[in-house]
Amino acid sequence: MEYASEQRDREDTIRLRGRLTFNDHAKLRALIGEMKLNKGQRQILDLSSLEFVDSAGIGMLLIAREEIVATDKTLVLRGAVGQVKRVLTVAQIGKLIPIED
Amino acid sequence: MTTPAPAPSPLAKASAGLEHARILVVDDNRVNRNLLLALLERGGFHQVEQAEDGGDALARLDRFQPDLILLDLMMPRMDGFEMCRHLRADPRWKSLPVLIQSSLNRPEDRARAFSVGATDYVAKPINSGELLARVRIHLKKRALLRDLETYHNRAQSELALARSMQERLLPSPTRLLNTEEALGIAINAHFAPSSELGGDFWGKRRLPDGRLAVYLVDFSGHGVGAALNTFRLHAMCQQLAAVSGEPARFLATVNKRLCTLLPYGQFATMLAGVIDPMEGVFHYASAAATAPMVWAPGDDAPQLGDGSGLPLGLLSSAQYDNRSLPLPPGGRLFLYSDAAIEIPVGSDVLDETGLAALVARHRDREGEAFLSALLADLRATGPIDDDLTALLLTRKI
Repeated sequence: MEYASEQRDREDTIRLRGRLTFNDHAKLRALIGEMKLNKGQRQILDLSSLEFVDSAGIGMLLIAREEIVATDKTLVLRGAVGQVKRVLTVAQIGKLIPIED
Repeated sequence: MTTPAPAPSPLAKASAGLEHARILVVDDNRVNRNLLLALLERGGFHQVEQAEDGGDALARLDRFQPDLILLDLMMPRMDGFEMCRHLRADPRWKSLPVLIQSSLNRPEDRARAFSVGATDYVAKPINSGELLARVRIHLKKRALLRDLETYHNRAQSELALARSMQERLLPSPTRLLNTEEALGIAINAHFAPSSELGGDFWGKRRLPDGRLAVYLVDFSGHGVGAALNTFRLHAMCQQLAAVSGEPARFLATVNKRLCTLLPYGQFATMLAGVIDPMEGVFHYASAAATAPMVWAPGDDAPQLGDGSGLPLGLLSSAQYDNRSLPLPPGGRLFLYSDAAIEIPVGSDVLDETGLAALVARHRDREGEAFLSALLADLRATGPIDDDLTALLLTRKI
């Protein structure tokens, strides 16, 4: 998995690319660290270029949400497609993390 | 339960201090031997034994158990080359450091010494600083290697034990046969962790009224952490036997308990269901599990159920829906972990529709034959890099 960040108004958008799996643990930890330091009230993970997420990847998104909420910011998942969208839907992740198209 | 740790070799401690190392000096010249002995003594090595030639050295190995050999090449009877060859032929001495000290100094002599298994080479006349430094390096390397081997062996045997314990969580073939005889429901199962231990498990329970409860669990991640969670959940499922006839309530109860146990970010997906042969229905509830598939004799393709629901362990107030699929006599029910649908196909994955197409292809095969044909197709589709469990339940009557 790779990512790139972009800042605008009161939002930070991080676009994830590739596959998000157990192997990305260290990278996602670093990303969570960055998001906690970011200025924006809304931290948006843009998933439109993410091709695949496994259960460990979903676990890491949940950890991200937990840590970001603890800094009084909001985590939003945006634009999931394909397998990623199907997994988020089946697991009803929308009940825990706001999901936008 | 504790397993006694193997006694540390004298050298395990000696990664720091090497003073307990045992060194065998092999040289036909007594003056040379005494010189080396004095040198080693000065270097802090007191457990040194001497041998006069290759044969004498080989005879002393078993009793002395050296950690390193200082070996001369030109000796009467058995020379150093010959002795080294003999030594390496014995698996016990394969990794013993052999440091050649010789006045044979042509490149071809050195090459020949290494070809028969020498570890290192110093030329006579001996430079005492260099010799001691090399002795220390090889002893240190040996100690580290031994530590690593000990650790590796222990980890391997503990994982093997844990794996056999985990396999015993699953219903035994005898119990499956009993179920088939009592209820007319045959169960065929495939269980393959991607590493020694897995995060999958499944179970079944005969209910007093002739129904059969079945469940399949997949913990996030795999390996040791996920496997430990399967033991917890297995115990929980035993305790909750009383509600196992009510899938949605069963999941909600398991979920509530798991929420207090799992750290945030760890979770499980689970499908819990009940086959009711009288009614001809499979009642189930799902916590983000894969979609169950059913088909009856004569059907062209399986019918997919709905796997959506919050995974277990995330939100203690989560509620689950009771759903159902038809399962008439002769009907089949297929349950599987997500490894089966996450097989990469191009830039996408196989997914449930892809899996359903493979299931359709083999829908008329019986039990084991169905599973092995399907698994062969899955392996041919792409690499399976997660724990894979697949269950086929067949209503015989």
